[in-house]
Amino acid sequence: MPESLQPVSPDLPAGVSGIGAAPGREALRMFVRNKAAIFGVFLLTSMLILSFIVPLFFDRDPGARVGGPHVSPGSEGGGLMGTDNLGRDIWTIVIYGGAATLKIAAGASAMIIFVGLSLGALAGYYGGWVDSLLMRITEFFQVLPGLLFAIVVVALFEPSYWTITFAIGSISWPQLMRLTRAEFLRIKNLEYVKAARAIGASDLRIITRVILPNALPTLIVSATLIMGAAIVIEAGLAFLGLGDPGSLSWGFAIGRAREFFTTNWWAVTFPGMAIFLTVLGLSLVGDGLQDAYNPKLRGR
Amino acid sequence: MTETKPLLSVRGLTVTFDDFVAVDGLSFDLHEGQTLAIVGESGSGKSVTALSIMRLVTLGTRAKIADGELLFRTPDGSVIDLVTQPEAVLRDIRGNEISMIFQEPLTSLNPVYTVGNQVAEAVMLHQGLHRKAANERALEMFDRVRIPEAARRLKEYPHQMSGGMRQRVMIAMALSCDPTVLIADEPTTALDVTIQAQILGLMRQLQDETDAAVMIITHDMGVVAEVADDVVVMNRSKLVESGSVFDIFERPQEPYTQALLASVPKLGSMAGTTKPARFDLVDFQ
Repeated sequence: MPESLQPVSPDLPAGVSGIGAAPGREALRMFVRNKAAIFGVFLLTSMLILSFIVPLFFDRDPGARVGGPHVSPGSEGGGLMGTDNLGRDIWTIVIYGGAATLKIAAGASAMIIFVGLSLGALAGYYGGWVDSLLMRITEFFQVLPGLLFAIVVVALFEPSYWTITFAIGSISWPQLMRLTRAEFLRIKNLEYVKAARAIGASDLRIITRVILPNALPTLIVSATLIMGAAIVIEAGLAFLGLGDPGSLSWGFAIGRAREFFTTNWWAVTFPGMAIFLTVLGLSLVGDGLQDAYNPKLRGR
Repeated sequence: MTETKPLLSVRGLTVTFDDFVAVDGLSFDLHEGQTLAIVGESGSGKSVTALSIMRLVTLGTRAKIADGELLFRTPDGSVIDLVTQPEAVLRDIRGNEISMIFQEPLTSLNPVYTVGNQVAEAVMLHQGLHRKAANERALEMFDRVRIPEAARRLKEYPHQMSGGMRQRVMIAMALSCDPTVLIADEPTTALDVTIQAQILGLMRQLQDETDAAVMIITHDMGVVAEVADDVVVMNRSKLVESGSVFDIFERPQEPYTQALLASVPKLGSMAGTTKPARFDLVDFQ
């Protein structure tokens, strides 16, 4: 029997697969079968372990000199990834930079998700003048050139964890707000929302317990990609010298080493690889979630 | 039965969508234990009437209750006008004293929660019960609407159930707080004929058990004949004729009612013909 004629899920008896399962469990099953998504999860967990767990067993100062300047990786005194212009170990910088980068990305994403979800939910649910007002505000932020605005915000204030997080958060929420609004507009007119109202549910209850759980799959996908974008924006800011000098993020490490890029490629490349792998992991997970929740979009 | 004071008295209800009058001066009474059918063609204002009684018609639309009173007798005996009540009072009434079943059982349950959860939520909302007591109540309601294997079914998601079962869940949800008025907006239209008969039978039984007043909206004369005590015929936003089901079927007074009844095909009336019959278009302006 050719392989293509085998049952789709030979490991599951009839009636257990597909329609039998709860919506969340079915999506999880789809996700686990997606090799790219699992690779994304692997990348992300590796980066998280590297950034938050490895430093616990690795008592070193990323600012300390360990050898001569510009020692190439693998050579005498160069360690795993070489040293930069001041003789600091790049491997240590990469490991300690992860926490700084990911904390900013997480903080900014939390802000984006909070602002985007609440404004989008209000605009979509209430419509009318609430919608018009919130949409004008959103459009205002949307037409601002994002990175430029973030640069201005960070440059005006001292570059610190909070200003950078705020700057990234304030330019990226409109996209999620519009998506949330669109989902609420779609779902609020469905029968089960009407039915919820007919059993006496309040507006707050309908927004949080009836509509939001149904919009969540779409929003989770979007939030994953937003987190990737936040890391890239942070790297951009830090590269331009607007990183928090107190915490050496990956972007900051790249920015610091860019003058020596032609002779000392490793000081730029390894932190860059770390960013690349993290964002790739997030994108693969995001795509995997999208496929899992909406198999119709597959292969698009 | 009509000697008792009405539970719900609709007086001169007028609902407008901008310039369009969707319901025009409609009046009728609904009594305890009575089943009232509102019949009429599509767009005659039946559903708008139902949504107006729930005060849900103005949400997300440009509809306005322009005139009239919706006098509702609360369980403590006082009579309130639903048109003038604030939203907070209406929320207490919805689902608790006046419940509604919708036309589409396939889409009126939330796909992300189990059906048992949804019935329990309705109970918790109004009766202040804890999760455990609410779950027990949900199980009891599932038994009452004759869902087989109720305990197992409680844990299922809507997409795992058939249309008929889902409509039973909707009925269980609507009746979970023992409402005095149940509004059913075409409860059987989306179901096939055998399931229709089951659901209608179930509604009858439940009404006998609870003594609730039922207002059933339909365009199906078969449904009317099956369940209704009294009938209100609507056409073009207005009340055409009302009366007991026997009067309406035996001695329809208005030409529109006569035409509506005549439009119901009779089994065997087409025997021997090969082409569809022409339907006489009548205009009652």
